[in-house]
Amino acid sequence: MNIITTSGLSKNYGAVKALDSIDLSLESGEPIALIGPNGSGKTTFFSLLCGFIHPSAGSATILGHKVGSNALAGKLAALPQDAHLDPRFSVKRQLQLLARLQGFGGRAASQEVDRVLDIVLLSDAGVKKPGELSHGMRKRVSIAQSLIGNPELILLDEPTAGIDPPNVKIIRDLIRSQSAKTTFMISSHNLDELEKLCSTVVYLSEGKLIESGLIETSSEDGYLTLRLPSVPEDEFVRECSKLTGVLRVQRQAQGDYLIQQTEGHAVDQALLAMLAKNGWRYRHLIKGRSLEERLYG
Amino acid sequence: MSVINIALNEWARLFLSGRGWAAIITFSLIWLIFLNYAIAPAASYVSSADFSFIVQLLFGSFEQTAFTNWKSAEIALYWIFSLYLLPFFTMISAADQIASDRARGTMRFLVLRTSRTNIFIGRFVGQYLIQLLIILVTIATVLGLVAYKSPEKLPVALSEAPVVIVNLALVLLSYVALMALVSVLVKSARQATMLAIVGWILSWFLIGYVQNNFGPFPVLDWVLPGSQLSTLVRLGSWDTLSLAPIPIAQTVILLGLGWFAIRRCDL
Repeated sequence: MNIITTSGLSKNYGAVKALDSIDLSLESGEPIALIGPNGSGKTTFFSLLCGFIHPSAGSATILGHKVGSNALAGKLAALPQDAHLDPRFSVKRQLQLLARLQGFGGRAASQEVDRVLDIVLLSDAGVKKPGELSHGMRKRVSIAQSLIGNPELILLDEPTAGIDPPNVKIIRDLIRSQSAKTTFMISSHNLDELEKLCSTVVYLSEGKLIESGLIETSSEDGYLTLRLPSVPEDEFVRECSKLTGVLRVQRQAQGDYLIQQTEGHAVDQALLAMLAKNGWRYRHLIKGRSLEERLYG
Repeated sequence: MSVINIALNEWARLFLSGRGWAAIITFSLIWLIFLNYAIAPAASYVSSADFSFIVQLLFGSFEQTAFTNWKSAEIALYWIFSLYLLPFFTMISAADQIASDRARGTMRFLVLRTSRTNIFIGRFVGQYLIQLLIILVTIATVLGLVAYKSPEKLPVALSEAPVVIVNLALVLLSYVALMALVSVLVKSARQATMLAIVGWILSWFLIGYVQNNFGPFPVLDWVLPGSQLSTLVRLGSWDTLSLAPIPIAQTVILLGLGWFAIRRCDL
C-alpha cells in the first residue's frame, strides 16, 4: 500500500526553494530513511507531510488521504523537530490530552499513556514536568506521544540528535520493536544508525529528490567494505590488491577499507583467507558500500 | 468532542498552573480592594455631591448615567466599573489562546490529532467560559456584600443581576474573540496583549480620522470591541439588549478573521 505519495511538492520561502517539485511514492512496511545535508529540505518535507506548513505548489497524500485531512488524525504521528510540551504541566497530563483528542476515553487515555511511556522506558517520568527531564528523556517522551494509538505512519525528525549513546540505543530498539505494526520514516544525519534500521532511503539535496529506493539492492554493487581495527595500512593495501578480482582498495574513515571488485568476481572468501593468513583480525565485512560512502563518497 | 477537550484544557491551564493561580490571586486582590473601597460604601456616597461631580467628569451628565437606571447602588457601581475593568482583564487573561503553544511547537502535537479549527474554537470557548466564571464570581461577591450589609436590598439587587450578567457576557464575547485573533498573529501572551491594546488605540485614531475627513460612516462607530460601552453604560434594565447585535457581529467577524489566520499560518 502506498503510504506517502507526493506530486510536484514544493515549498518556497521568498526566493529560496526549500523543496523543489518532489515526486515520490513510498510503500508501507520497513522503516524509511530520509537523508540529506543541512538545508536539504528534510524538515520542510516532514512539516509539509504533517500539515504544519502549506505547500507553495504540488500536493501530497498520506494513506490515500490529502495532507491535513481529519481522516489522518490518529493514523499519522510525528516527532517534530524543535517541538516541546508545555513546561507548566506534567508529562502524563499532556499526553492524556493528546490521547483524548485521538478518541480515548478518560481511563483508556490514562492506560494508553502508561503503555507508551512504558515502551520508551519512562514509566516513572509521567508525574514530572518536561523541565525536570534530561534532553534524552524529553526526546523519548516526544517519541512516546507519537506512539499513542498505534498510528500507521510515524515521522521522526532527528530522533537521536544530541542524544547520548544509551538513549540512542533505547530509541533504536523501540523503533525496531514497533516496526512490525507501524511504518517509520526517520530523518537523521547518523547514516550508520539509519542503515541499521531502514530498508528504504530517500535522499534530498538542496530541496531536490536525488534518490529513492531500497538500501540493500542499490548497495550490493561490486564493493566490499571491511573494517580493520589495527592493521598496517600499506601492507594491507598491498596484500589485498594482489587478490584476483580486486580492482581498487581505498582507505575510508573509521578504519574502513573500500574494496572495489572487478565485474563477475566475488573476492570475499579470498579476502578472509588472506586476513587469516596474515593474522589480521577484522571487525566487520559488509557487501557493498556504506550508505555514507555511496551518497557522499 | 475535540472542541470540548480543548476547552476543558483551558480551565486546566488556568487552575492547574502556577501562572494561572498568579493571575487568579492578582485579580482577586484587585477585586477585594475594589469591593471594599468602592462597592461597599456605594450607597452612602452615590448620592453625594462629590461623587456626582466625578461621574459628570467621566460620563458627561450624572442624569444620563447608570445610577438613574438601577435601583441598587451596588449593582449600579458594579455595572459601571465592570464594563470597563473586565474587558481590560480579558485582554490580559485570554491573550494566550494560541501564541505560546505555537511558538513552543506544542501546537504541532495537537494538529496531528485534531483540526486547527477545533483548536481555535475550543480555546475560544474555554477562555470565554472562564470570563463567564469571572462575571459570575464577581457579581456573586457583590450580591453577598448586599446580603451582608443591607439584606432588605437583596431582592432588588438579585432582580437586576441577570441584566448585568447577560450584558457583560455579551461585552466580553467580542474581547475574547479579539484575543483569539491576535494570539494567532504573535508569539507570546504579552505580545498579544500589547498588539490588542496598541491596535485598538491606532484603529480608534484611524476611524476618527476617516470619520472627520471622509465620513460620517455610521458603521465605523461600531467596529471596535467596546465601542458600544459609552452608550451601554447609560442604559439600564433589558433595554441594554438593544446593543447586543454589536458585540455579536464583532465576534463573528473577529472569529472569522482568526479562523482564516490559523488555517493559513505555519506552525
